[in-house]
Amino acid sequence: MEQQVVKLTDAENQLADLLKAAGANDASNALSAHGLPHRRIEEYHYTDLRTLLRDVPSDLAQANDRLPDVQFEGYGRIVIVNGKLVHADEIGGVEIKSADAAAKSVGNDQIINLMDGLAQNQIEITINTSLDKPIHIAHVHDGPDSVVADKVRVTTAEGVHATIVETFEGANARGLRFANFALDVAADAEMLHVQLDQNAEGARQFVQNTYDLHENANLRTLASHANFKLGRTDIKADFKGEGAHADFAGLTLLMDQQHGDFTLNVNHGVPNTTSTETFKSIVRDRAKAIFQGKIIVAPDAQKTDAQMMSQGLLLSERAEVLVKPELEIFADDVLCAHGATCGELDEDALFYLMSRGIKRAEAESMLIRAFLAELFDEMENEQVRDKLGDRVDAWLAAAE
Amino acid sequence: MAAVKETIDQVKEIDVDKYKYGFKTDIEMDMAPKGLNEDIVRFISAKKDEPEWMLEWRLEAFRRWQQMELPTWARVDYPEIDFQDLYYYAAPKSTPGPKSLDEVDPELLATYEKLGIPLSEQAVLAGVEGARVAVDAVFDSVSVVTTFKKELAKAGVIFCSISEAVKEHPELVKKYLGSVVPTSDNFYATLNAAVFSDGSFVYIPKGVRCPMELSTYFRINEEKTGQFERTLIIAEEGSYVSYLEGCTAPMRDENQLHAAVVELVALDDAEIKYSTVQNWYPGDKDGKGGIYNFVTKRGDCRGKNSKISWTQVETGSAITWKYPSCILRGDNSVGEFYSIAISNGHQQVDSGTKMIHLGKNTSSRIISKGISAGYSQNTYRGQVSAHAKATGARNFTQCDSLLIGDKCGAHTVPYIESRNSSAVFEHEATTSKISDDQMFYCQQRGLNEEEAVALIVNGFVRDVLQHLPMEFMAESQKLIGISLEGSVG
Repeated sequence: MEQQVVKLTDAENQLADLLKAAGANDASNALSAHGLPHRRIEEYHYTDLRTLLRDVPSDLAQANDRLPDVQFEGYGRIVIVNGKLVHADEIGGVEIKSADAAAKSVGNDQIINLMDGLAQNQIEITINTSLDKPIHIAHVHDGPDSVVADKVRVTTAEGVHATIVETFEGANARGLRFANFALDVAADAEMLHVQLDQNAEGARQFVQNTYDLHENANLRTLASHANFKLGRTDIKADFKGEGAHADFAGLTLLMDQQHGDFTLNVNHGVPNTTSTETFKSIVRDRAKAIFQGKIIVAPDAQKTDAQMMSQGLLLSERAEVLVKPELEIFADDVLCAHGATCGELDEDALFYLMSRGIKRAEAESMLIRAFLAELFDEMENEQVRDKLGDRVDAWLAAAE
Repeated sequence: MAAVKETIDQVKEIDVDKYKYGFKTDIEMDMAPKGLNEDIVRFISAKKDEPEWMLEWRLEAFRRWQQMELPTWARVDYPEIDFQDLYYYAAPKSTPGPKSLDEVDPELLATYEKLGIPLSEQAVLAGVEGARVAVDAVFDSVSVVTTFKKELAKAGVIFCSISEAVKEHPELVKKYLGSVVPTSDNFYATLNAAVFSDGSFVYIPKGVRCPMELSTYFRINEEKTGQFERTLIIAEEGSYVSYLEGCTAPMRDENQLHAAVVELVALDDAEIKYSTVQNWYPGDKDGKGGIYNFVTKRGDCRGKNSKISWTQVETGSAITWKYPSCILRGDNSVGEFYSIAISNGHQQVDSGTKMIHLGKNTSSRIISKGISAGYSQNTYRGQVSAHAKATGARNFTQCDSLLIGDKCGAHTVPYIESRNSSAVFEHEATTSKISDDQMFYCQQRGLNEEEAVALIVNGFVRDVLQHLPMEFMAESQKLIGISLEGSVG
């Protein structure tokens, strides 16, 4: 149970005021009573927001129509700026509309309350047919420092195949972003969902992705943590139909004092479902990479197969990788496994490469790319793969 | 499937119906009044004739305990414990200072006989030349018989009850008691510090290899007595000791609380091996009764090149809440944890370990095997962390769970915290049942179903079994199911 906090921080007071101004009185009161999630709340064990989120902008983002920098050639584009839908390409078989933010998000913590309470609109996307070209949802946060809350709800028709790529960008130096994404993968549908972050250095972002998977649905996701000061992505997946399969992946590249947290909850609620979870982190300087993954197998969910892997690579002495891979299993005929490793680059491998005339820096970058190769190999979308490659290049260049 | 049924039967062997240690001994008890307050703490202290500083220590712990809240993070579910409805002290009335077994209450001896405790010379295991087991037998709260004391004294080893140590070696007790598990450590450890009844004290002097394996058998007896053991083992520079702890308890209806604290201190180049077989009453087939076992066990590798190794076989108790841990403070120190946790019926096990790497080039190894059957819940909860200064820290963790039946649960909750780049951690966990492929493979090579299951389950726990001392290995194999070990080569 969350306990009452004695004294709220300025940031907490400010956020409670923002909620009140947005008309979310219950959420405001709850935040005032409990404060932001802290280390005693198990899901935030390594991300204590009472200490990490000390200064927040005092205003919600104002309407703005700046167009995004990130481009995907030939994609159908949907642009959300400061929480409002400002542009949507005509995409055959896809309905896009902006409605009042009414949908309740999954979970019950103060960050979820903030997401729900501060979002003014929700962008509803209905995919009725299989799509040749992927959808690009560009989230832009612009203008003076402010708080923004985006909400996207996607539903699919049975059997459709589609790709959704989301990008988060913003020039907002100390901005605070909440983004909530829900995807309902219908029976026999096949979806790819990618999230790339491209925020300003000082940005803080809290993302929640929820997925519902129906019979024989197939889902692949990839999210990146690289461009922000503080970021947390909370992924919740619920298997609701037999025969469904999902692959969840995460890429974390952090340096300086960045703090990135992937928290994943995969609930195998019905029999015959399978999932893989692959999360890789590379950290240097004093950065912290966190992965908390929980696989739950319900009492009757026989024949579940879930394989979770998290790997951390520490490139500087003071960098940290904190991992909690959990299994919670109530059925017997299942195959569940998780593995976790963390360490530095293998000196022997470096030596091998250098003995063949490769400079140390280059040898390191080769090994780092090899470490990440698995994530790239499984990404069939070329443009996404290129963008990820650029991201890794930029990160390696910045670190030199 | 018949083969699986076979395995269930084998696990049932240890289950309630066949709980062969479920008998009760009627001996007059010397009891403190029910409930807990400062007077009870004073009563216990006075009963044990303790010096003033010990009483103060207890009282301070008691005051802290009153401020503390019951921990709720473990995956165990039990009715609220009324700490005022328990007796905190019970000691058997015996003739003062028995010198030999003849002087001991024969009924007590009969109890031990039923337990199969090797109290006398005959207990020395046949065929194991020179092997001796010293028994500091604990009957409820007070140590009654201590054997082999003289031989140990020759080597300079101190092996006595903790109350005796408080009187005779106060400087050692003052220096080390509470230095690994501080009085304010956690709810149950603090309660223990306030009311601990008795336990063992072991001191191995510099450079001494303890000539025999030390062993304590605990036994909970009188109804509604919580038992609060306190064990303290100190291994001086370059010494070695192997300590065995085994438990059985009589069958009864009321839930019983047990909150022990075990502290180990290993100085430079010392090694402590601590083995436990825990087979307390798990409750009846409906989950009624059974022991509540809330234990704080922690070892401190204080010196360089020191080593602490925990091995446990957990088959009993209604609730097990137990995390034998190692603080790897000394450079090059080593921590090990080997565990088999079997839960059946309505048992709930939440157990694991903590390996805290503080010194340079420290290494640790965790092998945990959980088998859950019936309606039980079996959780592995562990933490491995490397401090920023713990360069070269190394950990390997493997936790495997085997599920038998579809009403039980197996859970894994590891915390892996690497705070420096040269630390290398590897963790793997699997959950499965005996697969058809495994069965097919074995049977295709000529084993019958029963043998195949025996082989597979045997293989599943073998990594841990082989780390038990000889005496315990036999008992454990019996617990896990004789035929599992015996039927295959």
